Amino acid sequence: MSDAALDYGRRIPRIARLSVAVSPSLIRWTLRLVTVLLFGAATALGVNVGMNAPEISPTSVVQQDGVATPDL
Amino acid sequence: MRPLGIRATTLVVLVYLGAVLAVLQGFVGSELPITFGASLISHLAGMAAGYGAAIMLILMSRSPWLERDLGAHRLARWHAWTGPLVILLSVLHAVAAVVAWAKASSNHLVAAMRDVLNLPGLLTATVGTVILVLIGFSSLRMVRRHFSYERWHFLHLLTYLAVGFGFAHQLAGPDLAGRRWLQIAWALLYTYAFALVLRWRVVQPLFQLWRHRLRVEQVRQEAPDVMSVLMSGQHLDELRAEPGQFFRWRFLTQETWRSAYPFSLSAPPTRNLLRITIKARGDGTRRLFAIPRGTLVFAEGPYGALTRRRRRRPRVLLIAGGVGITPMRTLFEEIGLPGKDVTLVYRASKEQDLVLKHELDEIAERSGARVVYLVGPSSDARNDMSAHALNRIVGDLSDHDVYLCGSPRLASRVRDSLMDSGFPRHHLHEERFTF
Repeated sequence: MSDAALDYGRRIPRIARLSVAVSPSLIRWTLRLVTVLLFGAATALGVNVGMNAPEISPTSVVQQDGVATPDL
Repeated sequence: MRPLGIRATTLVVLVYLGAVLAVLQGFVGSELPITFGASLISHLAGMAAGYGAAIMLILMSRSPWLERDLGAHRLARWHAWTGPLVILLSVLHAVAAVVAWAKASSNHLVAAMRDVLNLPGLLTATVGTVILVLIGFSSLRMVRRHFSYERWHFLHLLTYLAVGFGFAHQLAGPDLAGRRWLQIAWALLYTYAFALVLRWRVVQPLFQLWRHRLRVEQVRQEAPDVMSVLMSGQHLDELRAEPGQFFRWRFLTQETWRSAYPFSLSAPPTRNLLRITIKARGDGTRRLFAIPRGTLVFAEGPYGALTRRRRRRPRVLLIAGGVGITPMRTLFEEIGLPGKDVTLVYRASKEQDLVLKHELDEIAERSGARVVYLVGPSSDARNDMSAHALNRIVGDLSDHDVYLCGSPRLASRVRDSLMDSGFPRHHLHEERFTF
């Protein structure tokens, strides 16, 4: 199996070998940072969408137009 | 099944509390005086469906916190009943809304439906509901069997689209519109749900693909219709995969990349090798048998709590049926107990269906553990798998933890018998996979 693994290692493109040099601890912290950034973006998006959400429901618009008052 | 821990219990309480608040908001959003009728039903069902859809996404986000604290099996079970519930509530909401509109506008139902669909955001929400209904229909047992796993899985992925389609309508609905803080909280519930999905179902597997460069090294036949796939990669120890756990594997060939299959590791993981063992169940899994060497593998995981850490008693009984031997094979080797305290009962209908038998015999010989093969028809008294029979095999079940993995029929027979005999539920550990 080790021969196959070595052979496999030779087939890895140079750019991929970069991953060999990165320490596991750096990887863990990077992933944590990605998580924080992702949830930070989700928070910003959620707050923004909530802030800009309609103040009046479409059914209320209909109500104002006097067409119907269905309260859905 | 193990009892819930403190964190999981807190989470469940919060989820229920959120559901109560969402439904209460349905009352608040209704016009006064509150009367029971189509309008109120529409409000309550709509709020509950919207909340349930977000919870459903969170449950299936594959977040390791949820998988670890609740267990993949429990999450799948909850998903199995929240899914149909959300669909039913969505349909109830839509029907009740149209009925209420027809009543309020003194119009017939078809005209009312036309009016409702012309409201902003309602057409997309309706398309979302139709997609959910189609997904629910395709998941009915009698319909499901006519679909290949791959098609069904692809259809199931449309849930994200359906949930997204309904979101704008929820935020603009009369229960939330104009209540700024509620709208923000609702939007955050959804953005967090999607962030969890993105983090654990997209970013993590992509990262693992880059970091571990998992590739098929060898495909080897183990029995008729059973193959082992050996995969090599880098830094696989960083995955912290344990014997008994599983991954969802996506083999990146033109024919197989669309589907992710849950398969347990069938050998203890090493720093550069992982092995799974697959039984052909349909065209999709059969296609995996022809994967060429060097194929890249997109792996999500590890998942599952069927590990040695679950053990609380001094002895262990492992029960496997058919290809359910895969997680048991790894536990049999690495359960961490003296051989005399470990028994493996392996059930198969034919001798040639005993997968990895030579490995099991070798482990048993090396460690002194015991392996019992029960081969032949289940009507044969020698293949009895009742609690009484298992008790006879191991001597005394009361000092054993039982690990179980087999076909749904076998698993339910063993589980029912153990429960009927008074065997404590939290000493029975099992993982069930559904295709």
